[in-house]
Formats: sequence, structure tokens, C-alpha cells
Amino acid sequence: MAELRGSFGDQSQHLLTRWFGTPDLHRLAVYESKAGGYTALRKALFDMKPVDLTNEVKTSGLRGRGGAGFATGVKWSFINRDAPGPKYVVVNADESEPGTAKDRYILENSPHMVVEGILIAAYAVGANQAWVYIRGEYDEPSRMLTEAIDEARAKGYIGPQPMGKDYPLDIRLYRGHGAYICGEETALLESLEGKRAQPRSRPPFPAVKGAWGRPTLLNNVETLATVPWIINNGGAAYAKLGTDKSPGTRLLTVSGNVRKPGVYEVEIGQTFRHVIMELAGGPPEGRKVKVFWPGGSSAPVLPESMLDVTTDAEALAAARSMAGSGGVIVMDDTHCVVRAAHRLLKFYAYESCGKCTPCRVGGDWAVRTYERILANQGSQVELDTLQRVSDGLQNGRCLCGLGDSAGWVIDSTLRHFREEYEDHALRHECNVGAVPANA
Amino acid sequence: MSALSSQVLEEIKELPAKYPQPRSAVMPALDLAQEELGHLTPEAMSEVAVALQLDPGYVEGVATFYSLFHLEPTGKHRFYVCTNLSCMLRGANEIVAHVKQSIGVTHAEQVSADGLFSYEEVECLGACEFAPMMRLDHKYHYDLTPERVDQLITERRAPTPLTPTLSPGGERERKPRAPRKKKADG
Repeated sequence: MAELRGSFGDQSQHLLTRWFGTPDLHRLAVYESKAGGYTALRKALFDMKPVDLTNEVKTSGLRGRGGAGFATGVKWSFINRDAPGPKYVVVNADESEPGTAKDRYILENSPHMVVEGILIAAYAVGANQAWVYIRGEYDEPSRMLTEAIDEARAKGYIGPQPMGKDYPLDIRLYRGHGAYICGEETALLESLEGKRAQPRSRPPFPAVKGAWGRPTLLNNVETLATVPWIINNGGAAYAKLGTDKSPGTRLLTVSGNVRKPGVYEVEIGQTFRHVIMELAGGPPEGRKVKVFWPGGSSAPVLPESMLDVTTDAEALAAARSMAGSGGVIVMDDTHCVVRAAHRLLKFYAYESCGKCTPCRVGGDWAVRTYERILANQGSQVELDTLQRVSDGLQNGRCLCGLGDSAGWVIDSTLRHFREEYEDHALRHECNVGAVPANA
Repeated sequence: MSALSSQVLEEIKELPAKYPQPRSAVMPALDLAQEELGHLTPEAMSEVAVALQLDPGYVEGVATFYSLFHLEPTGKHRFYVCTNLSCMLRGANEIVAHVKQSIGVTHAEQVSADGLFSYEEVECLGACEFAPMMRLDHKYHYDLTPERVDQLITERRAPTPLTPTLSPGGERERKPRAPRKKKADG
């Protein structure tokens, strides 16, 4: 196992990461004996009714950790447990949001915690089979999860009668093959069904018609990994942590120009100043934070002056950004915002699935415009074009969030760093290291 | 003469039964084909289509959508170097330049003269706390420096018993498989 860069050890905010770093935590025996593993599953199967499980998660206020932040318990309640025929739990382990490594951190350290969460969720919503869609590049997490599933099967926790309960439970793995769009839940379902991963229009929602046309619960790895703690300690205990509307803790991946990049579990509501300057050690000697992406590359940027914004969804929305995937990318004052935005637009253009026109055309258009600007061929026309393309990508004009995300990169960098864009486009110069316009 | 071995074709034919609906087998099947041949040729994709009772155009449509399927030959060892923002901010572009120079190629479609290496710039691989990083031979490599890249290349040019963890066979090395069960009715 790789070196741990991030949270581990007994601290009050370490609900998920407390036992990380324990030797062989990925083995079932150690997960049970040292970390109290599978007590939540036992409690769920024998002491609680499925509806109680869903209500407990509702009480916790847990919100999905994949990016959209939807209330997990409410999502669980959308599945009609009594509908005849198969139902599925599909686990989104296609972690691909730039700057996000938390699901890998969880899977490599404590795969059984994820397995336990999946089994509880499946029992709660009336599914007998769960499919983990894991990105193809995750060789090591995939291997560790496979071993964990095999161990749980051998121990009798997965099978026709898990722990002796007359309720069959099974978990299968499906490897992705390289496509960012598969993080979008309906694109993921298409891919799982053996198709090109293009998002579906909704309704019907996956809860009604999901994998293979059946009712399906889709949850992120971190979301499900949180479930055993909630079942063990109660939803009310979880809701006491964090803020009123964004309770609990979450894993923030801090990357880029910081001295101690890592995956840090924090109580939601801490400031980004605490996360970036204290936990991650701040920027290298002699440099200053210029800008950060608070929730993956899709979250609109915030300048250094907004480091005191807190990590809850509400504060981020008020700052015109979002909590997203919890990927905190930090850029210091030696780097150029226009070049960073160009790199991200190349990403969104490349990853566009091509199904809807604004995204398919808009991304490429933006990239070509950035290229003209960076080749010192820009003018006011290019700046206006960027704004127009950005507007055309946002506000529901695209089938899924990928287009919006591309638009937000342009829009938010233009909003906070107009002067840097004008240096490039109008004056054909780059003043990297200069103080940002509105910071 | 078919592109895929009869053993792989048999394995592919057994895949659909593992899924709630048979079409889900298309990617695992393409995986097996690519593992055997190194990349997906039109013949291989057609054979996968026949084995799964799908249209060849459909199979190619799936293969072209996903970046881990290669339709052109690759090096035995392919460097998937992340150049997305978190890695870019920590020197990924210099790593790419060094890889290209060291293996003697100018672009991602080119394979080194000895057939051993090729590279590709990829999007975020989800190990941002170890940037700059890359994937090589089904393993992540962290905190890259030009010296570290040179070391990885040297080890693969002359695999020695001193580096047993390395997978000298590279991407295309066939994994040992359990012998197939004989069908009772032959």
C-alpha cells in the first residue's frame, strides 16, 4: 500500500479515516477486530427494519459525496422496496473529477467499509445485487475491493443468507474504460449496460428505471462508506457534526501548490483557510495562494480573498461556487489563470460525450478561442466570444452537468481575473505572479 | 485464420451470462481482445461482435468511445501521464517532455523504435496528492521526476530478476487463467 497522505488516527472529526493506517485494515479480520467492522451490517440485518435504515440516514442529513450533494436518505426512499422484480444498487466508483482522489483513498485503505455500506444500502432499498462501477485506471483499488468482496463472501456476509439472514446479497464489479462522463449517473448506467456512455434524459429517474431498466439506487463510494458509522452511532449523532444543512464530515482532496497535498477528513463548516493553509501547509515558501477550486475542477474558482469561505454547500453557493466532489485544487501566484482555464477547457472538450450540441460545440469553440488568446492573437472579440460560449453552456442548456462545468470555468475565471485575461487578449502579455485583479 | 485465439473467443462467449443483460459483456470482451493483441484491430472487433451476436459497427462504436481501448498499436509499456491541473501545477508537462525525449517519440500515436514504449497524456487519474503521477503497466507511479522516469525506462529495457514486482511483460502480458471447464456433452 502506498504512503498515506492525508487523514488517519483518532481525532474527533475522523469518522471514516480513524483506523486508516492500521496494518492490514483491508483484511476482514482486522476490519472486524480493530475497527469494529460489520457491526453495523449485523445491526441492520437483525435489529432494524429496512425503513428504519432509510430513516436513520435521513435523520443524519448525509448528502451525496459524489458532487451533486443530494440528500442520501431521501434518495434511498425513492426506491419502491415492494415493487416486484429485481432492483439494483449501483456504486459510483468512477472517480474522475480533476483534483479528486478521496474514493481511491477510501478503497485502498478500508475496502470493507465500502462493502459494508453497500450491503446495508442494498438491504434498505430492497435490492439483492449491487454493481460497483469502478474506473478502469484504478487497478489497485479494484484489486483490493475484489479481495474484500471475496473475503466477505467466504465469511458468509455476502451470499444467499448473509450472517444467516434469509435475504440474499451479492456485490459485483464492473470496470470502466476511461471516460469522465461515466461519473454522471445516467451515463454510468449506459456504460454498465454495454453502451457508449451518453447521459439519458430524465425522467424517468434511475430510482424508477435505472440499470437494465430496473429501479436503481446510485450512490458514491464515500457516501456508502459513511453509512456504517451512521448505523452504529445513529443519524442524530452524525447530524450534530458539521453545519445544520451540511452535516457531518467529508474527505477533501487538497492538491496543486501546497506543501502537504493529501486527502483530509474535515468537519464540514471549516474554512478553506484552515484546510489549505493549515492542514495542507499552504503554498510553497515565498509564494501566495492566488486561486482555488473548492470542489473539483467543475466548481467555480474562488480567489485568495475568499479563503475564509466555509466548506459547507450553503456558504459555497453564496460565494457562487459549489462543494462538488471535495477536490480542492490550489494554484499559487507563479501560475497563469488563463493557461489553467485553457487546460481545463481542453479537458471538458475532450470528455464531452457529443450527445448534446451546446457541449459538443461549445467546448471546442472555447479551446480554439483560448488558443488564439495564448498565441497573442486575441482581442476584445475573443473575450466576448468566451463569455458568449460560457453563457451558452450554462443554465440547463446541456443534457448533463458537464457543459455547465465547462462554462463555469470560463465564467468564474473571467469574473475574478478579468485583468489577467485582458493582459493576454488585449495587451498580449502574461503577468504571471501579478496580484489578481479583484483579489 | 482468426485474429483472436479460440481460447479467447470461448472466454468471450461465456461472458454474457455473467450480466443481467448480455450486452454488458461488450467491454469485458473487448478487454480480453485487447489483452491478447495489444490493440483492437477491425478484425478483432468483428470477431467480438460475432461472438456476442452484436453488430460490428456497434462494437466499434463502443470501442471508440472509451480512452482505454486502443485502435492503433501501442508500445509494450505505455506511459499514461496525467497532465490535468493538479499534476500540471507540479510539473507534469516537463515529465511528458522527458518521457517523449527518453523513448524517442514525438507524439502519442508513435511507438518507440524498439517497440517497447509509447505514451499518452491523460486526464486526472485520481491520485492528486502524489502529483505529478502516471499509470504504467497497471500500476500508479508517484512523485515523478525525470530521474524516476529514466529509472522506470531502464528497468523495462533490461528486466532483471532484481525487479520482480515490475511486470516485465507489460500491458499485454497474459494473465494465467484457470483451465476452462470441459462441457459434459463435449
